[in-house]
Amino acid sequence: MSIFHGWSYEEITTPTLDYYSLFEHGMGRAEAHRAFRFTDTDGRMLALRPDVTSAVARAAATLFNERERPLRLCYAAPVFRQQPHSRAEWRRESTQIGCELIGANTIVADLEVLAIVSEFLERLELGGNFVITLSDLGIFNGVAESLALDATSREQMRLLIDIRNGTDLEHFLASYSQPKDAHDFAQLMQLSGKREMLTWARRVIPNEQSHAALDRLDALWNVIESLDLTEHFEIDLGDVSRLDYYTGLIFKTYVNGAGTRVGSGGRYDGLTESFGRAEPAVGFVVELDALADVLRSSPRYANLRLESQAAVSQITENEPAVLLSKALEKRAQGEHVLLNLNEVKQCRN
Amino acid sequence: MPELSIALAKGRLQAEALRLLEHAGVAVSSEALSSRRLEIEDESGRYQFLFVKPADVPVYVEHGIADCGVVGRDVLLESGTDLLQPLSLDIGRCRLVVAVRTGVLLSELGLLRVATKYPRIASAHFGARGRPVEIIELAGSVELAAVLGLADCIVDLVETGRTLRENGLKEIEVISESTARLVVNRASYQLKAAVIGNLIGALHGPGVAIGARNQSIA
Repeated sequence: MSIFHGWSYEEITTPTLDYYSLFEHGMGRAEAHRAFRFTDTDGRMLALRPDVTSAVARAAATLFNERERPLRLCYAAPVFRQQPHSRAEWRRESTQIGCELIGANTIVADLEVLAIVSEFLERLELGGNFVITLSDLGIFNGVAESLALDATSREQMRLLIDIRNGTDLEHFLASYSQPKDAHDFAQLMQLSGKREMLTWARRVIPNEQSHAALDRLDALWNVIESLDLTEHFEIDLGDVSRLDYYTGLIFKTYVNGAGTRVGSGGRYDGLTESFGRAEPAVGFVVELDALADVLRSSPRYANLRLESQAAVSQITENEPAVLLSKALEKRAQGEHVLLNLNEVKQCRN
Repeated sequence: MPELSIALAKGRLQAEALRLLEHAGVAVSSEALSSRRLEIEDESGRYQFLFVKPADVPVYVEHGIADCGVVGRDVLLESGTDLLQPLSLDIGRCRLVVAVRTGVLLSELGLLRVATKYPRIASAHFGARGRPVEIIELAGSVELAAVLGLADCIVDLVETGRTLRENGLKEIEVISESTARLVVNRASYQLKAAVIGNLIGALHGPGVAIGARNQSIA
């Protein structure tokens, strides 16, 4: 959390228990469905929060309506989700840590959030074993629109891209475009890379909406390049998850040692509208428990424990009064103390 | 430390998958294969192989214990796991079908009893047609269920159709064609992109530079 504070983010605490309809509005029906639900005494549906962003967006549109923009809010909180058996994401209760930057839609706002994610992962000292992938949903949306896909085939195309199934994607596209174009597009969606991805995409995808999105990514990449941060960033145009939620830039973070994504984020300019105040927003969330698993197996973690033990002053005394007075003295100086209770003279029978 | 671990389905697909990998330049010595170890390395020491039951391949890959795996599409559909499927391999070709005892007409029956090893696929298939079914999950010799009347029909994997014929069953509908797939863990796909890209390229056959990252795209 100190990183967020360092970037002037204020901590916000949202209710653990809330109306289910909040999450239906906030996350979309499909995602909200994973919440643990039950009814209130008046019959209304409640849920243990499956995410924090929904409640933050509501707070921004209502409680903080009068506040100056942009709003910078951060949180660390447990979220609750039903999980199917024996899947890689198995935690029903997991701790999410994240931030939201609300009321700014510039590229600088996107970069601010990316910088925070990157600092966060950097500070964990994972030995550089992490990747942040970038994409922009405008690219997919542009393609879907230019092919005039209906909702069903759009979802079908999204699924094929999402699982990188190039072979079937090519078959699927065969009825919409030239075989050569279909082949190129299928390949493009399978790969991730650096700047060359954008150049390539511009050639393969002809429509305007996608090009606008590519321009945005390009501008973002220019800054990342000038900051010499390209090592940890990748452009992954095949990332098409949660279309109903995000509106522009999306990113995911992957860490060596964790089999699943440990974080995700992006721009969701449509979310606060459902709470009465439409404004642009960008944010991200990291799954802390999955990261903790990775850290636990790293050699640095063992050192960390030793270091923290060494920093504690152990106090051993016979007389209770002496023991306590020593402890209070050290505490007043802000030291960590550990009282040895076994050596104290017994006062009780 | 191997660069990549690959989960392979034991049994039907194993020999074919290993042959395909050998073509792609990943060879496993016959000595290592004949041992009873479930975890072996290839001759170069760059790849580690895990031999597990077909249904367990998606599980190992989804959890990231194996970076990728080779598994039949039928098993993959049934598992419902969240995996990337960048490549369809031309091995293990077969089809998932609905079969009945010769002479039985499904349209004349109400609630169907369906015996299968693939309960998820079977209920999705009939569900999409609005047909109410009762699934009877079996572990093997599914044909027998239709022959002896345990179920009205079966959903099963068919390679040549010989077993069906010899047991007096008839294929009435193909649910899906199935070939083996290369499946990849989502995190590995990003973090080990170069190694996986090379493997995909090699399996795809010469001349196709799929996944060859860092290569300049002219």
